[in-house]
Amino acid sequence: MTGTENSSQIVSLIRTFKMLNRFNRTRSDARQSRILYFDMLTEYYTQIKNAHDAGKMIASHPVFFPAEILYAMDIVPMHTEMTTWMDALFLKEQGELLAKGAELGLAPEICSPHRGVAGMFALQKVPRPDIILWSNLICDNTAKFGELVMQITGSPGYFLDNPFQNSPAEMSYLVGELKDMIHFLEQNTGRKMDYTKLSDIVVRMDHEIELYREISDLRKAVPCPMSIDGYLELLGADYMFPGQPASAKYLTLLRDELKIQVESGRGVISPERFRLMTLFIPPLYLINHLADIYAGLGTVSVVEPMFTRWSEGRLDPSKPLESIALKSFLLPERRSMYGLFGQTAINDITESAEQFKVDGAVYWAFLGCRHTCATIKIIKETLNDVDVPMLTIDCDLVDPTVNSKEDTQSKFQQFIELLEDR
Amino acid sequence: MLVIVEMINTKLATLDLFKEVNNTFPKTKEIVELKSKGKKVIGWLCTYVPEEIIHAAGALPVRITGYGQEVELEDANAFMYINNCSFSRSCLQMGLKGEYEYLDGVIGSSTCDGARRLFDLWCHYISTPFHHMISVPRKYTEQAHTLYYDQIVLFKKSFEDFMGIAISDEALLDSVYVYNESRRLLKRLYELRKLENPPITGAETMEILNANFRMPKELFNRYLNKLLEELETSGIEHKCRSRLMVTGSVMNNPEFIKSIEDLGALVVTDELCTGTRYWSDTVVLDGRTPLNAISRRYLDNFPCARMVPSDERFNRVLDLVKDYRVDGVISQIIRYCVPYAHDVPLITPRLKVISVPTLGLDVEYGTSGSGQIRTRVQAFLEMLEAKRK
Repeated sequence: MTGTENSSQIVSLIRTFKMLNRFNRTRSDARQSRILYFDMLTEYYTQIKNAHDAGKMIASHPVFFPAEILYAMDIVPMHTEMTTWMDALFLKEQGELLAKGAELGLAPEICSPHRGVAGMFALQKVPRPDIILWSNLICDNTAKFGELVMQITGSPGYFLDNPFQNSPAEMSYLVGELKDMIHFLEQNTGRKMDYTKLSDIVVRMDHEIELYREISDLRKAVPCPMSIDGYLELLGADYMFPGQPASAKYLTLLRDELKIQVESGRGVISPERFRLMTLFIPPLYLINHLADIYAGLGTVSVVEPMFTRWSEGRLDPSKPLESIALKSFLLPERRSMYGLFGQTAINDITESAEQFKVDGAVYWAFLGCRHTCATIKIIKETLNDVDVPMLTIDCDLVDPTVNSKEDTQSKFQQFIELLEDR
Repeated sequence: MLVIVEMINTKLATLDLFKEVNNTFPKTKEIVELKSKGKKVIGWLCTYVPEEIIHAAGALPVRITGYGQEVELEDANAFMYINNCSFSRSCLQMGLKGEYEYLDGVIGSSTCDGARRLFDLWCHYISTPFHHMISVPRKYTEQAHTLYYDQIVLFKKSFEDFMGIAISDEALLDSVYVYNESRRLLKRLYELRKLENPPITGAETMEILNANFRMPKELFNRYLNKLLEELETSGIEHKCRSRLMVTGSVMNNPEFIKSIEDLGALVVTDELCTGTRYWSDTVVLDGRTPLNAISRRYLDNFPCARMVPSDERFNRVLDLVKDYRVDGVISQIIRYCVPYAHDVPLITPRLKVISVPTLGLDVEYGTSGSGQIRTRVQAFLEMLEAKRK
């Protein structure tokens, strides 16, 4: 079966990204990095759409997965959760995917993007992946959804066991797991790992991590030069294009744009009244509306410690596999979502609040994400200790039936009033 | 025509001893007495924590469980959020209420999101002196065994430092013997459940299993030996309308099983971490050091839904279905128990292939079988009977 025969969702996404960029290009105030980002997304999904016709193999993979390996082996990656996120963000067809997930027997408590992934494959909305990859970084949902996807698609799969804590033995285990995965991929795709290419990717990835850090630092400026939708672009750049020339170009452009704004004292909104910390991810189907709410109330998200603050460390291209393993320990998400939630994660919250001059915090309590919600009280108390109030909003990342935009707006406005009264 | 359970009212005196332990837990007579003598009591949170190491150090391992009934979990809901499983919240609630204030330590393992967050919150909010978290791989490969062994060595060292002693190989061997004996006795108990008319019910078995986590193992073994003698000579026979197996999330409530059995069925086996998955595999020395053998056993044991590939667990479930001549499976899954919830679309068709129907129940930890559950089980039993005709 060719890729063009069963890729309606991909085709719709490509069409949407192209349309958005046609519109962006007509706007004088459009951020050039944003235009580039949508071009990258167009190219990403075009690669998937055409992969089989071009004789290439597709491997689906979840969040926080080392897609660098796939790029180095010339296997086309398909990020499963990002694809359902994109669906919710741009196509609003998530209801159909979730209904199919339920029909398959997946309980509503299971993370909705993963229910959507199962639905997406069962409905053949995307080309059938030739390989299914998945991992336990970062939760039980990522650890468990791969076998069902294998059953639905009939494709072989590999589970990458990412260790829970950070010790030399665990690092060594992860390197061993990566080697086994490469062996599996070589056996099942006929492709050979190109270690020279992987080293080049590691060089770029290391540079990209530096760019992420610079971008994060630039957002400390008052007024802040980036809006909340830029935050989601940062996630997409790493999740879908790790160590790729396109993402390095995008991050460099974004960094330069922010630098100019900071140097000229221009913020993304004017006047900037409240600086917010964003915890977890806002509902994707509300993101555009949310950007308007933020702008309307003079608020800006300046830091997302769970997602945009990378840990200290550098990658070494002479040890590419060790570097890929190390990267998974440098991920911002790892500090608060995987491993023990201890003093390091708590300090991260406090330091972020102080360094980014935060007035308040909004925790998007995604009900499908049990392990992050379990730390809400600790985070709230931590922020209270540094006099930062926190608003918690129950939500779902992709399911619009959990909360409406009116409800979200009302809660948000009340919170802003509270900040005004302080 | 339905055949209902025939209860021959022969007293099993030793069973009352187990019930007494459960009725007084967490502050049982034995625990209070041991504490007064200065013995350390260590709570463990998941079956991937090797109890033998705690035992070999001279401490009493106790499984941390939640309330034996569905109760308001107001504190835990506030501390842990409502979308974590009610088992974790129930355990946390008991911890926050000081029910486990006597514990000298808590050992967790990275088995599932609920378990790891329960450990995080316990460390943050409850002042138990010693904490240790064991990273548990999700595979059975040699690399995974090497990592898990490394974790067990770290745990042993950390625990030795806390206890101020060195745990010798001899002490570990003694503990292995005691724990293997317990596993063998439980296997004997379960063998009785394979009989056409077993002498013990599922609810009674759950009482025994619960006591197993809550009392000194040597004493448990003595009691269970005695109970087995009583059972083997009692002449008790429980006839039933259907033989059932219970699978899914952690569950240790005899009342839940009793509510099923009150409808005329008999729960003859289970795939629970409080049941078969707890005792089924022994530590096999096979030329290994005691620590290495313990490590092997715990990672290779009848797996939790967390492990990959799931076929290992599914095959064991199918074997149990055949061995115990199970007519139907009750898959009870605690809300937000994601590892088991993900397996529903995978295991249900496998059971269907061997003509074993499944009843899926979404439950909360501690539920005793509400009216709705009884109605659904009743309908399930009727369906099983219709299928047999």
